[in-house]
Amino acid sequence: MKSNFYEILELTTNAAQHEITTAYERAKTTYSGDNPAIYTIFSDQEARELLSMIEEAYSILGNKTLRNIYDQRLLGHSKINAEDLTYDSILNASRLIFQDSKVDTKKASFVRNEELEKEIADCSNWNGDMLKKIREYKNVTLEKLSDTIKVNSFYIKAIEAMTPNNLPAPVFVRGYVIQMAKELGLNGKAVADSYMKNYSKAN
Amino acid sequence: MELVNKTGSSETNKKNIWAVQSGKGGVGKTFVTSSLALTLSKLQYSVLVIDLDLSGANIHTALGLNPSHLNLRHYLEGQKDISQIIIPTSYPKLSYIQGIWDSWLPFNFNEFDEQKFFTDLRALDFDYILIDFGVGSFEKYFNLYLECDEKILVSSPEPTSIEKNYRFIESYICQNLKSKSTPEAFAKLISTLREFRHKTLDKPFSFKTYLKENEGLTLEPFNKLNREPIKLILNGIRSHSVSDLGYSIKSVCNKYYGLHIEYVGFLEFDNSVWQSIKNREPVLISQPFTPVAGQFLNICKNLTEPENLRAVV
Repeated sequence: MKSNFYEILELTTNAAQHEITTAYERAKTTYSGDNPAIYTIFSDQEARELLSMIEEAYSILGNKTLRNIYDQRLLGHSKINAEDLTYDSILNASRLIFQDSKVDTKKASFVRNEELEKEIADCSNWNGDMLKKIREYKNVTLEKLSDTIKVNSFYIKAIEAMTPNNLPAPVFVRGYVIQMAKELGLNGKAVADSYMKNYSKAN
Repeated sequence: MELVNKTGSSETNKKNIWAVQSGKGGVGKTFVTSSLALTLSKLQYSVLVIDLDLSGANIHTALGLNPSHLNLRHYLEGQKDISQIIIPTSYPKLSYIQGIWDSWLPFNFNEFDEQKFFTDLRALDFDYILIDFGVGSFEKYFNLYLECDEKILVSSPEPTSIEKNYRFIESYICQNLKSKSTPEAFAKLISTLREFRHKTLDKPFSFKTYLKENEGLTLEPFNKLNREPIKLILNGIRSHSVSDLGYSIKSVCNKYYGLHIEYVGFLEFDNSVWQSIKNREPVLISQPFTPVAGQFLNICKNLTEPENLRAVV
């Protein structure tokens, strides 16, 4: 039978995390370089093989999450296959736990409205209503916009409603507006300049 | 009062015969034995040191004493009882038995009755009995070595010494197996080992796996060795990083032999040691505050009360 990762590092399964690191460092000095302790016992080739086993063992046991998965499989009551204890299988299992929450990067599709496009192109006086109109026209939901530009949807709502009480200092608001405009395919600076004029008037 | 009773010899302490051995000569066996004995006696244990070095007994020199006329030969040749050849020293609670000092007539070890020797030793009233084994004539007192409760292996950090210690461990395992296995199985083991040594074996050799997989060999001596591990002491460490070598040796024994050994401590190279020996005085007496004295204390505590040290993380 293949030895388990604890046996490779010569530890008991209840070893503390710092003991694992110490054991790994000692094992590494033992089997790399020409340590007098392996002389006449292990050949260079064997030492290299041992070292790669040690590295593999530490990459699992040295990481708390991976060690947890490994422990559950190793010490669990159900009978476990040898394949489920390999480095690759543990790594795969950890990927299943920590799936990246996938950001929908696709641009939302929308039906082109020539009349509205013309209005947008001609627009020089920007306010919250206009921004909201364009956002809805381009089929961008509040959540989606908040997710991509990393601005709280609460602020986006307030910018569209032009309610300063719910917003931070104007300098931040300007930044948010530039972000929103860029995301909606507009000229960020022009939109923000015009919006901020209206915004200060609304106060 | 409690303390005195605790160390009193009336208590039947099973673990009290220690063997000090090494694969190579000149690594400081005698020095280690005498210093361990002195440290134990300072810890208020009564201690007896026995010099079994056939190549010229000299523990009296390490202890700073003059050689005695009474020696082990008188006991071995039946002229005296063991209690009659014990020589008290000027150090409290420490006595010793002079080894065979006259090498004009080599002692015939075939006539040696190990069983009687051990019965006699166990009957003696000492907390600890330390035996300094000589190198090279291992087969002669192999049975004696097996009987000892604590087996201490001394090594220096040089490759020559480490290599010889591995050979010693191998021969120890094989001797152990030889008496418990069928002759055919043992012969097969030896030939496999030979193949391995000449690099004609196709896969790495592991003692433990081999013993498990092959018929006629018993795992019992092996398991006994794991239950009562050999204790390793590194002597003559010249830099702190080298002290980790003990862990390396431990790991190699574990991976190759499947044998658990314990690394009980290291002794730094200390100039006061050779200075004291030159003056024929034990270093622990002439310079009791030298670093090595603390390291001996550590080792003794590790060996006598291991549970007290393990509590600290």
